[in-house]
Amino acid sequence: MAWHHRILNIFRSNRISRDIEREVEFHIAERMDHLRAGGISEEEARRLARQQFGNETAQRERVRSMDIAEWVESVAGDIRYALRSLRHSPVFAIVTIASLGLGIGANTTIFTLLDAVVLRPLAVDRPDELAYITMSTTGKSGAGDYFTNPLWEQVRDRQDAFRSLAAFGETSFNLTDAGEARHVVGWYVSGDFFTTFAVAPEAGRLFTRSDDVRGCGGSAVLSHRFWKREYGGRPEAVGSVIRLTGHPFEIAGVAEESFRGPDVGREADVYLPICAQAVVQGPANTLDNRSSWWMRVIGRLTPGVDTRQASARIAAIARASYESAVPQHWRAEEQREFVTRTFYVRPALKGFSDVRDQYGSALLALMAGVALILLIACANVANLLLSRAQTRHRELAIRLAIGADRRRLLRQLLTESMVLAAAGAIVGLVVAQFGTRALVALITTPDVSGTVSLDLALNGRLLGFTILVATITVTLCGLVPAWRATRVNAQMAMKAQGRGVVEGHTRFRLGKALVVAQVALSLVLVVSAGFLVGTFRNLTRLDPGFDASGVLLATVDLRRANVAADGRASLHQQFLDRVRSLPGVTHASSSDLIPMGRGSWNDEIIIDGFTPKTREEGVTWFNEVSPGYFSTMRTRILAGRDFGTGDVAGGERVAIVNEAWSRRFFGERSPLGRQFRLRDRRTLTPPYTIIGVVQNAVYQNLRATDEPTAYVAQSQSVSPVATRIIELRTNGDPRSLIPGLRTALASVHSAVTLDFKPLEQQLADALQRERMLAVLSGLFGSVALALAILGLYGVTSYSVARRRNELGVRIALGAVRARVMRLVLGEVGFVVMLGIVIGTVGAQFASKQVAPFLYGTEPADPKVYLSAVMLLATVAFIAGLIPAWKASRVDPIEALREQ
Amino acid sequence: MARGKNDILQGTLALLVLRTLAVAGPMHGYAITSHIQLVSAELLRVEEGSLYPALHRMEQDGWLKSNWGTTEKKREARFYSITPKGRRQLADEEASWNRLTEGVNRVLRYA
Repeated sequence: MAWHHRILNIFRSNRISRDIEREVEFHIAERMDHLRAGGISEEEARRLARQQFGNETAQRERVRSMDIAEWVESVAGDIRYALRSLRHSPVFAIVTIASLGLGIGANTTIFTLLDAVVLRPLAVDRPDELAYITMSTTGKSGAGDYFTNPLWEQVRDRQDAFRSLAAFGETSFNLTDAGEARHVVGWYVSGDFFTTFAVAPEAGRLFTRSDDVRGCGGSAVLSHRFWKREYGGRPEAVGSVIRLTGHPFEIAGVAEESFRGPDVGREADVYLPICAQAVVQGPANTLDNRSSWWMRVIGRLTPGVDTRQASARIAAIARASYESAVPQHWRAEEQREFVTRTFYVRPALKGFSDVRDQYGSALLALMAGVALILLIACANVANLLLSRAQTRHRELAIRLAIGADRRRLLRQLLTESMVLAAAGAIVGLVVAQFGTRALVALITTPDVSGTVSLDLALNGRLLGFTILVATITVTLCGLVPAWRATRVNAQMAMKAQGRGVVEGHTRFRLGKALVVAQVALSLVLVVSAGFLVGTFRNLTRLDPGFDASGVLLATVDLRRANVAADGRASLHQQFLDRVRSLPGVTHASSSDLIPMGRGSWNDEIIIDGFTPKTREEGVTWFNEVSPGYFSTMRTRILAGRDFGTGDVAGGERVAIVNEAWSRRFFGERSPLGRQFRLRDRRTLTPPYTIIGVVQNAVYQNLRATDEPTAYVAQSQSVSPVATRIIELRTNGDPRSLIPGLRTALASVHSAVTLDFKPLEQQLADALQRERMLAVLSGLFGSVALALAILGLYGVTSYSVARRRNELGVRIALGAVRARVMRLVLGEVGFVVMLGIVIGTVGAQFASKQVAPFLYGTEPADPKVYLSAVMLLATVAFIAGLIPAWKASRVDPIEALREQ
Repeated sequence: MARGKNDILQGTLALLVLRTLAVAGPMHGYAITSHIQLVSAELLRVEEGSLYPALHRMEQDGWLKSNWGTTEKKREARFYSITPKGRRQLADEEASWNRLTEGVNRVLRYA
């Protein structure tokens, strides 16, 4: 009966029951009439009529068999049957459920992140109406997305394409007034920010346009998570005062929980209106700075305006906006170029995301990796199901012979796969819960700038994905074995009785094909892992131009200490002198910037006789360091001297350059004694004389070890900065210096804020994505290899077991045992070779995909392929050796007696 | 239960019911059993227990339709009648029955 009838019958079942009852009643009444007409008493007639009709209840049931209940009942029966038969083979069940669970779990894990970072629209009302303004022509995120505050104000006041337009810029605030800093993520947002995203307050109120006016005192809005974390979600927090980098702000309200802001992966803890930057940073604020690019602009389009129309409208106000915000200190030609720039409006359905830019493609690569793993696991399960079907061959044949419906058997076998997949999916969801957390930990750095905040809660999409994956799994690994299992010719199966002397190979070809596929797929993963692990190793082994071990970085921030600008240098000098005498400190120095830090400084070099071909060629990196910086960092001085006490302010300005710098400007000639100037706005600085050459060291990008860099003396600093970094070298664990350092620095000045970080940590943080890819691809490669080898071992063992008779005969006829081993190993070798050939082709494709992540290795590097193949072949050989040895130990007498 | 009469061969019940309804018009279940018994000169006997499930299935398949009516004795009964789809089915089943009996007859005659 068609299923829809069954379903309709559920609703009709009451009526049907009543109808049947009435019909049976009528029938019995008629029969009784007939019997009574023949002269039988009423009592007897009733009895006979009932007897003749048969069991009334059973009857009703039979009529009602059209009911879905019966269908559900039979499915439940199948499930019970599947559970029972799985209970009888617990090893099979556990192995299958575990491998499916891991496979599905890995897929759900990566998908959870992929969904949160790449796929999901912003969790705000009608995200499809959002669009952002950029100056970048490419549509790729980057520098072109950032506005200066004057430019933002121009656009804000002129535009008519957005119903509501907002700007935001990220910073960090320090929650402590003195001592070790506690940073939180802070965002300066424009007044319309919360309106644009239609955010409701969880408590108190959010900003409106009137909060963001120049000269404001400022108030703070907390994110829901920060409010929970820091205030335990207490409503009294609203109205209280929070001190941010030493400045008090009244807490106006808390944003609702679902709001995580437009920067996916980055969430503010505290929001301040843009105007409050003047309060926090004082005269150093960038509200009127025309060349400080720090805010991004996003808005909700006016209804009926699409991004193309909005682009045109915003482009129309570009000229006027740029003209009013032109950086006055730029050179004339740069200013002329500036005012010709334009704006583009692009959809912002998914918001901005640095995390997405950094990890999006890596996550896609990982997604492909876990999909391959699931395929390999599927092949294993399919093979297990195949051999299981083989052992149930006769049972199925008998059932078919005595009239079982093939579709019914098929359904029963598929139910078993479905039960397995469902169990696998449940295990997978549990695995994913841990997996996603571990993965986020892998991409999060301890400091505030590296915190990744994502909504990873289980939702309908993830559940749907898991169910989809499980369904695909059932189809892939259950359907073919079930189909084959029920395609038995009953007579043949009974006749063969599983005792043929030579086992037919046809039935077995599928099993081997699956192993070939497994070997091929695992080779793809092992080769990719080889490249990614190799990249990570190359990057960790790479000489950054300094020795990070044993170095502690202490950031000393005087901004809260109320020290006048001209007092900073001597105070910093006092700090440095004080820590030099600390026990355990072998070297100490200070600098304005640290390698791979957040800050950087580049400037244009002017050298007599050197004409740069492009403006970029004249620009190099800079750092300001104290004497002893190079010996503390163990950066070798190749020529000339270090800075010394004689290099004082007012004296001849001196500089030390690295090899790359020297090569760029002086070629092979010695730069010692030569001079350069810096372009300072429209004037030039006094000349710097080069007194030394040091080896190349990493500046900001770990992958670029030969960037031209010049170092100038802190003692000659023109405008000493408030924050310096002290580097301390020790022979022990650099962290052990922290307690002593804290008291020592506080004894010099009590109101400094401090941050400590070992330089090695700084290096490790810079390698986060590479580490994640290496760890995960290594893990995937190993799992794939293990699964494939397990499959190979299973199939070979099984094949040997099936061929016991044949092998027994061979041995009885005088085959040497070594020959039998060769026979089995030959078969293994063939399967593995075929897999490797196919896998090599796949790996070439895969390595092209991972090429953008690689460093110090070529995607065509034959060494990687060769070692992967060697590894696979060796493990495969060992996996084949055990069944081969067993095959050679077959006792011919026993094997033949089994007949 | 005594089996004096031939129980109806599996699969032929539908044929007999369709034929009965096609020839004699709408009928209730009891009348169908009586009719088959009568017309077959008591050679065939419908097992009452299988009749109603068969009728329902045939109705679900669209071969029959039914409605409640009143008999001459003023009893409520469900009357079945054949549909056009049922007539097509009847033609099919008649043809295959004829093939079967002809085959069997030939075997009995010549084998």
